[in-house]
Amino acid sequence: MVSSPDAVPTTTTLSAENLDKRFSGPPLFSGLSFSASRGLLAVSGRNGSGKTTLLKILAGLVRPSSGRVTLSRGGAALTPREQRLAVGWAGPDLAFYGELTGEENLRFFRKANRLVAESGEIRNRLRDAGLSDDAIGRRVEEYSTGMVQRLRIAFARLFDPGILMLDEPTAGLDAEGREMVRRVIEESRRESTVVVASNDERDFVDPDQRIALGGR
Amino acid sequence: MVSSVLAVAAKDATQELRRRVATLAVLFFAATALALISYAIGPFGLPEDDRPPLQAALFWIILFFAAATGLPRAFVQEEETGTLLALRKTLPGSVVFAGKALFNFALFLAIAAVVVPGFLLLLDWKIASWGLLAASVLAGGYGLSVVSTFLSALTARASQKNVLFVLVAFPLVLPLLVTAIAATLEAARGGEAWMPLRVLIAYDGAASGAAYLLAETAWED
Amino acid sequence: MKALKLLLLPYVAAVVAAAFLWPAPAKGFIGESSRIVFFHVPCAWTSSLAFLVAAGASFAYLRSRNPWHDEIACAAVRTGLVFGILTLITGSLFAKIMWGSWWNWDPRESSYLLLVFLYAAYLFLRSAIADPERRARIAAVYALFAVVLMPFLVFVAPRITASLHPQTVINPQGKILMDTPTRAVFFGALAGFSGVFLWMLSLDARAARLARSRGVREG
Repeated sequence: MVSSPDAVPTTTTLSAENLDKRFSGPPLFSGLSFSASRGLLAVSGRNGSGKTTLLKILAGLVRPSSGRVTLSRGGAALTPREQRLAVGWAGPDLAFYGELTGEENLRFFRKANRLVAESGEIRNRLRDAGLSDDAIGRRVEEYSTGMVQRLRIAFARLFDPGILMLDEPTAGLDAEGREMVRRVIEESRRESTVVVASNDERDFVDPDQRIALGGR
Repeated sequence: MVSSVLAVAAKDATQELRRRVATLAVLFFAATALALISYAIGPFGLPEDDRPPLQAALFWIILFFAAATGLPRAFVQEEETGTLLALRKTLPGSVVFAGKALFNFALFLAIAAVVVPGFLLLLDWKIASWGLLAASVLAGGYGLSVVSTFLSALTARASQKNVLFVLVAFPLVLPLLVTAIAATLEAARGGEAWMPLRVLIAYDGAASGAAYLLAETAWED
Repeated sequence: MKALKLLLLPYVAAVVAAAFLWPAPAKGFIGESSRIVFFHVPCAWTSSLAFLVAAGASFAYLRSRNPWHDEIACAAVRTGLVFGILTLITGSLFAKIMWGSWWNWDPRESSYLLLVFLYAAYLFLRSAIADPERRARIAAVYALFAVVLMPFLVFVAPRITASLHPQTVINPQGKILMDTPTRAVFFGALAGFSGVFLWMLSLDARAARLARSRGVREG
């Protein structure tokens, strides 16, 4: 596991109250409430059942139609910046800057947040996600699907988040990649919350909580 | 905050240097427009007295349309390549907006760096006060960059982006252009440009403030 | 409220009649053309008012995210557009009579033309966004951004160049230079046009709300 001087010791609690999301038509989900501060939360459901939307709502990327998502640490609410950094997210529509290398991409996101962006440390994170040294220095536009997926995992963990959200984390990965994801989930669930959304039951190893979507 | 803004601008600059999409489009547009105007009216095609107002107006017309070609790329490209999501996840709207506006201002100055010599050479532009010209280009260009960047954030996900951008920009940018033309005219004639410059600065301040405050709301979802 | 609405029609009819019958034509104008002030200025006034209403409703929408506020904003812009076009038409008629040409690029005229363009741009922006929540939010942000830049449009442009426009009603001396009958009809017209504006606004907004509840997209 990669340690970082910026990691925060106390756990972050994620709670959702009465989440409701609808586009035009019947709601995707309704009255969803739960709370988590540690462990693995599995989100399952068929394609189109709203797993991706739910994770995006929890990550602050989409507004719910009603209800609230709260992040707190030691009982106190987090500032917007803390919220952004406390939640790591990776999903199938996460894309990176093609003209930049994998390393440059991650370095940008850290620098723009005024965080330490030392080359060696960033390369370690990328290696930990299974990217070769050669890949790290190549432009993302030359990456294969599997390489992009590994970059996504590294991105989600970039700020050592207290809440890690992975949407279809093993999509496009070979056996080695799937093993890497399993390891990441097992390491992270000890100290923080890991929310995993997937169609593949193998991604959920002994979940502490489960949300099953798609009961329409 | 400043370092974050610079990081965003630097990222955009790196992308642009490696890809050169916007710069080429914009410079090509400016060069074509210059060539066309020069061919049509040339340095001596108009009576002496009519020249300064027309040259000032044409100058800003070219700058505006060149900007409309290249500046919206700021958010449109992020939207089209799907990278907007990563930005929204990690950074506040105001920082991204400021960084992109800064980059766009640099791009605008690059356009001006081509158009000014073009006018001097091809249209025999006479400038009495270089200081005033520089001030009007800087003040006018800054306002144009801020408004264009902000509006590109609004129109990035809409349909018919190109037409839409020019239509929504036009009413807001016209007072700026009219004032900049007045200031440039005085710079050419050696007159008093303090009044228009003051208005430009006020406009720049108002636009920056409003854009900064609204940036977060502009790019939700 | 209903009583006020019913009174509106006879009131406006009375104002229009009075506009033509009661005050004498003002000096310095050609023939009866000064009567246009009873129509032109209230139109200009209401179309500017519309913008402020739209900005206020947009602000309210961004706070509350209540679609009704967005519907009011949109209705205000649409109604403002109608009155803005009427302003331009009445102004143009007056210009033709007084100075012989339909359009002069007088800065005051031009700033109303730009206001009309702004309303049209707002509506075009709305039509280009499919998702209703995003449409409402983007339109509200545009309206608020525009309202900050509005003073430059309306006040600055007329100052930069000299104006052909007759001196405004509210002038530097702070006095109202009209005789009593004129003043009465003028303010009566102002009130009447504002009433019509508010009535049209509320109709349009309620129609939009009805359409939304039936699941029909705004048109």
